[in-house]
Amino acid sequence: MKVTLLTDVDLCIGCYTCETACKQEHDLPIGIRLMRVIQVGPKEIGGRLVMDFVPMHCRHCENPPCMAVCPVDAITKRPDGIVLYDQEICIGCKRCIEACPFGAAQYNPETERAQACDLCYHRVDQGLVPACVYHCPTGSLVFNEPAVFTETRQAQQAEGYLQHRFPDGPDSLLSELGEA
Amino acid sequence: MNDRSPSTSGRKIVRTVCQGCHCDCGVLAHVEDGRVVKVEGDPDHPMNEGMLCPKGLSVTQFLYHADRIIYPLRRTGERGEGKWERISMDDALDYTANRFRETLDKYGPSALSWSWGDAAHQSCLWSKQAWLKAMGSPTHWHSDAHYCYHPLLIANQVTFGSYSTSEEGLDYRHARSIFLWGGNPVMSHPTRARDIMIGRKNGARLVVIDPKFTQLASKADLYLPIRPGTDDALAMGMINIIIQEEIYDKEFVEQWCVGFDKLRTRAREYPVERVAHITGLDAEDIVRAARMSGNYTPCIHHGRMGVQQNRNCVQTNRAISVLVALCGSLDVKGGHVSKLNSPKGFKGVFYIVDTREELRLPAEIEDTRIGAQEYPLFSGAESLAISCAHPPSVVHAILTEKPYPVKANWFLNDMVVCLEGQRENVKALMELEFTVGSDFFMTPTMELCDVILPPTMWLEKDGIAEVFYQTGHKDFIAARQKVVEPRGETMDDSMMDLEIIQRMGLEIPGPWRTPQDFYDYQLEGLGITFEEFKDIGYIEGEIKYKRYEESGLNTPSGKVELYSSILEKHGYDPLPYYVENARTPLATPELTEEYPLNLITGNRHVAFFHSNNRQIPWCRELEPMPYLDIHPETARDLGLSDGDWAWIETPETSDRVKMPARLTRAMPRDVVHAPSHWWFPETAGPDHGAFQSSINLVLTNDGPYGPISGASTLRGTLCRIYRVEDKE
Repeated sequence: MKVTLLTDVDLCIGCYTCETACKQEHDLPIGIRLMRVIQVGPKEIGGRLVMDFVPMHCRHCENPPCMAVCPVDAITKRPDGIVLYDQEICIGCKRCIEACPFGAAQYNPETERAQACDLCYHRVDQGLVPACVYHCPTGSLVFNEPAVFTETRQAQQAEGYLQHRFPDGPDSLLSELGEA
Repeated sequence: MNDRSPSTSGRKIVRTVCQGCHCDCGVLAHVEDGRVVKVEGDPDHPMNEGMLCPKGLSVTQFLYHADRIIYPLRRTGERGEGKWERISMDDALDYTANRFRETLDKYGPSALSWSWGDAAHQSCLWSKQAWLKAMGSPTHWHSDAHYCYHPLLIANQVTFGSYSTSEEGLDYRHARSIFLWGGNPVMSHPTRARDIMIGRKNGARLVVIDPKFTQLASKADLYLPIRPGTDDALAMGMINIIIQEEIYDKEFVEQWCVGFDKLRTRAREYPVERVAHITGLDAEDIVRAARMSGNYTPCIHHGRMGVQQNRNCVQTNRAISVLVALCGSLDVKGGHVSKLNSPKGFKGVFYIVDTREELRLPAEIEDTRIGAQEYPLFSGAESLAISCAHPPSVVHAILTEKPYPVKANWFLNDMVVCLEGQRENVKALMELEFTVGSDFFMTPTMELCDVILPPTMWLEKDGIAEVFYQTGHKDFIAARQKVVEPRGETMDDSMMDLEIIQRMGLEIPGPWRTPQDFYDYQLEGLGITFEEFKDIGYIEGEIKYKRYEESGLNTPSGKVELYSSILEKHGYDPLPYYVENARTPLATPELTEEYPLNLITGNRHVAFFHSNNRQIPWCRELEPMPYLDIHPETARDLGLSDGDWAWIETPETSDRVKMPARLTRAMPRDVVHAPSHWWFPETAGPDHGAFQSSINLVLTNDGPYGPISGASTLRGTLCRIYRVEDKE
């Protein structure tokens, strides 16, 4: 079974809890954030302000570009999909940092090695969820098989169809505000 | 895959309660060889259900910080010179008690006082009160009482009795509409942000009223970028629309409210066009907001610091309370649930301090308290808040000896940066004959103390978390327990207080010789001891709705007082109203030519609580500097690029402060936001940069104050901004 970490951006409130949960779990120094929430906006789009918070972390790619370029084979992929950076083998050459399109591979200034989100495999191996997922207050971070995320998304979208077909239904904002 | 139970391999796990802010989240502390190696949220705790925030998750860096004060210190040089000697706790307590005793004998009890402001010291409220009671001193102050929780308490109490507030007991999860007035719980109380997001998922409409486009504004159905300090006008306008369109709860108003006709007449003074002009909002949006409140009930109207930190805050809160009542959302599921659901028989600290003979001072002494004459509902014997002295007036009293001299003060927080009028705060500190400090780090305030008695932090002490900010769907108490032995010679604040009382030759005003004795006393009505409670963890009360149907409300009329008889009796306006802040483009157009921008201050950051955590690496990394939020086009006009340092001047004081600009469209073009409570632990004492970037340096403590709680205005004044030139 493959596991992964996906985000429902609509539920991310920009509280930075996941960042600190990760820092604590991996005892990280200043200057490396394996989980980082990026604020996008606010921007003015169509006359209104919009803003998102997007948690950025290793995507645990199926064909990891970082793994392909590592000269010492420090990067491996487990059968469950977790990509691991072996801190003993890493020589700190930073090629993985160049190769990663997500900025997930990072340089640890204290250990002088490359590091990326390891999905808290030490927790996963005990049947637990990663520390960021555990502490996320809204369920924005989802740790599961990708198919489960897909199913949830499909169900949410399907729900939206009903809303569109019955905009004047009893729970409709427009009708109750007398603006329909 | 969904197992949320904490990891357990090879460690002792102790259940306790965080004290990083007022949320009181449950924590599982992982201990190895007597050291806390990690903390996790307690999945069984009713408040946080497993979540924690960056403050809580960084706590090992706090607990074991190399700069934490863990041994008592006595000043050896001049005050503020930074010369200290380490002494034993026993000597420090003797020295402190002797100096206090001298002050008591020379000036009388009122000259001794204590002050606080952060969550970490809330648990010693009872024992500090015991110290005051033992001496007979009414002088206690709380750096932000006049514009924090207290104005809201006063407003809610005159409207609902001590029954409900617009701060606690908010049942977001079941609400159908949620109004956030000047607050961003993502940053201030993340547990509440979580509840709001659950409510939103359950279908609640979210309305955010805030000059700044906050995290939750980006999730809102309706965002109202209100002009700073005009929430009172908006609330009155919404009341008017709700009454005119007859979308209020007629049955509830008829049966349970008094003064409706007078309210209706008052509300007519706020037609939507006028309100739109005052607030800078679109009239259609105001109507939409009013209709959402009236139609989507139960509704929650949650007023936060953006409301409180303006001089008219009590009346603004009154108007917001009235909205809750009109919309029939008092004490119903999904609304503002009563405060009467806490575990039966438990004696809460506020209840004890306010009502129990052991700790309450005689009314004639309370009525001498600084501020009691000017603000009787805030500082006097009839106070409807947690009665305390008016903070700026204490600073003035120290400097002028009026209405009476204050000569010794025990500082529990960083008063220097946490109260407006910073330059005067320092003057007052220097004027005191004896200053004692109990804080965790060498802050600008601790630097000016004569002796420092270092307290234990929450992982090192017992206590009962009363969960100050109850959610509406759960009401409970939780056991805080000592996880590891205290570092160095730190001591539980309350134990220090009991020691000081006895070493001053005074009587402890109750049968308590240790803090645990007091916790037993609090729990005796539940038939358990504190030791037993530690094993139980937490106790929930029974949630019941519409409790007023059994016993009425404890207002003079027994009903919701839309027209307040208490305010009338004290000579205040019994009906809510709008008044412009003292220094704004509308109030002072000529001043606005010199100071063309609106200034709001003090948005919270989730990594900090007031002035705390600036030295905690994982916290500081999230918000390294005190960024001045400014609209990109406003910044461009001022020649400021992102990250450029900018000076801020106000018409309030002759000082200026500087901050790096953060260009963001979250701010309207004519409003800037400056964060509060900033100091830099990494820079040299005694002020540690507090005179560089602490916004309280440019906010006055000379008023004009609000008439009821004496609130100063921190979120609606004027300023001018200009570039910091090189070498400045």
